[in-house]
Amino acid sequence: MAQHAPSRFPTAIAGAIIVACVAAIVWMISYAVPLKLAGQAYMMIAILLAFRYWPPMFRWVAAMPAVHRLVFALLIGGMICGHYTLNGRTYFPFVVWEIFPFVHEVDPVTCREFIATTESGAKVRLLTEQLFPSIVQVDPLDALDNPGAYPPGTTESLARALAKVYNELHPRDPVRQIDLFNMAVKLHPPSGESRQPSCELLKHYDVSSDQ
Amino acid sequence: MRASETLRRLIGPIELLHEQAGPRLLRFTRIGIFALWTLKLLLDPLWRLSEMPREMWRPVGVLAFIPAGYTDQFLSANGLAALWSCTLIILALCLTNQAFPFFATGAAFLLTVYSSLIRSFGPAVHTDIVLLLSVYALAAYAWSDWIAAKLSGKKSAPPSWSSYPLITIVCFLCISYCLVGLNRTIAGGINVFTGDTMEAWAVDASLRGYYFNTNIGWHVPEWPGITLMLRGGLPVITLFEILAPLCLAWPRFRWVFIPVMLSFHALSLVFMNIFFFDDMLVYLLLVDWSRRFPSLRAK
Repeated sequence: MAQHAPSRFPTAIAGAIIVACVAAIVWMISYAVPLKLAGQAYMMIAILLAFRYWPPMFRWVAAMPAVHRLVFALLIGGMICGHYTLNGRTYFPFVVWEIFPFVHEVDPVTCREFIATTESGAKVRLLTEQLFPSIVQVDPLDALDNPGAYPPGTTESLARALAKVYNELHPRDPVRQIDLFNMAVKLHPPSGESRQPSCELLKHYDVSSDQ
Repeated sequence: MRASETLRRLIGPIELLHEQAGPRLLRFTRIGIFALWTLKLLLDPLWRLSEMPREMWRPVGVLAFIPAGYTDQFLSANGLAALWSCTLIILALCLTNQAFPFFATGAAFLLTVYSSLIRSFGPAVHTDIVLLLSVYALAAYAWSDWIAAKLSGKKSAPPSWSSYPLITIVCFLCISYCLVGLNRTIAGGINVFTGDTMEAWAVDASLRGYYFNTNIGWHVPEWPGITLMLRGGLPVITLFEILAPLCLAWPRFRWVFIPVMLSFHALSLVFMNIFFFDDMLVYLLLVDWSRRFPSLRAK
């Protein structure tokens, strides 16, 4: 009988089967855990495993004393776990890392802003992040009118607070009134239409008595 | 054979960043991080927050533990000035490198309170989180050095242990980018990269204005070339964010990553008024200084 060389299972087919199995597992587990979480978790696990088996990293971690290894695991683990809590506030600084993670297709794009009129008649824009530079970012002004998030009157309280701080910084030309405008920019204006933001007055606050 | 040789030459060396770092580089890093925090605080009139409407107060992190009756005292001008002064003093003590584990732990706590406070009137944004986690790493590894040295009967920590906090800090930076990129790709889906999303973000951020207010971004729809650049740039930047962990291992990737991401941050400032200037110092740690300068290596 002629001897046949042992047939090797083609590597490409083996790889395809493994990929298909992993995809099936991802698909099945994604019913229990939303894909937006599960998908990120799988990707992160793949990256961590790649580093786990990369010899220089393995050598570096293996050389660490146990206490250092524990610190490394806690800090990196805390950062990754914090992301999967999907909670940006409670476990700060172990937060969810999301910057523009959603589709935002609105046309026109709108934004509210405070425009103040000073005693000399000058118009100035009052920005919370500039008058209170400690604050990196506040919610958009229209969010302050959301009764589920803020109590009624929050927009007016903020307007008065901004006027007070502005007047402390500019005592010679204090703010007398503040107008709340809604600005709108069309992403695709009809041809011939101005591209300047449109401006609609929403409210008017008299702050002259706050001096 | 020739192709693989060319590919290997193109890829260049694969080596762990800061693997050879010594105590001097760690010392410079400590000074850099604590000096940046000091500068940030010096520029911040924290006590002004006492004028913010209490209706907007939504405590973040550890501040949720402050009893309701003490919130007004904490948010008074005096309370905030006290927090500001104490934090500055302890940051100055950290710069002296004396009793570093104690002072760094105190700084980690006070900076956590400070960072939580400045986010408690709005969203918990990501600026300076990597810098805060870096303080955690410096403090925690300083204690680990002390404990491990005691346990092993050594007088002081061996120089090779200096690489631990440095690599951990670079891990923070890389993982933060990677998680942002993964989140955008998987949670947002393909539609984030198509359609008008990028222009809408640019116009929205530009109209709102933050501390920086270039007032340029809302013009983006008028400029087709810029619109194309922003639309095309988003998937490229997201790819670089996801691949950021490669910075730990691949020097040639870092030389592409650094200019690409710095350009991205500069353009975010121009068109969206957003700038993560805190992370710029951490970018210095993407350079393997100890391989270039023998004096910075662990002996």
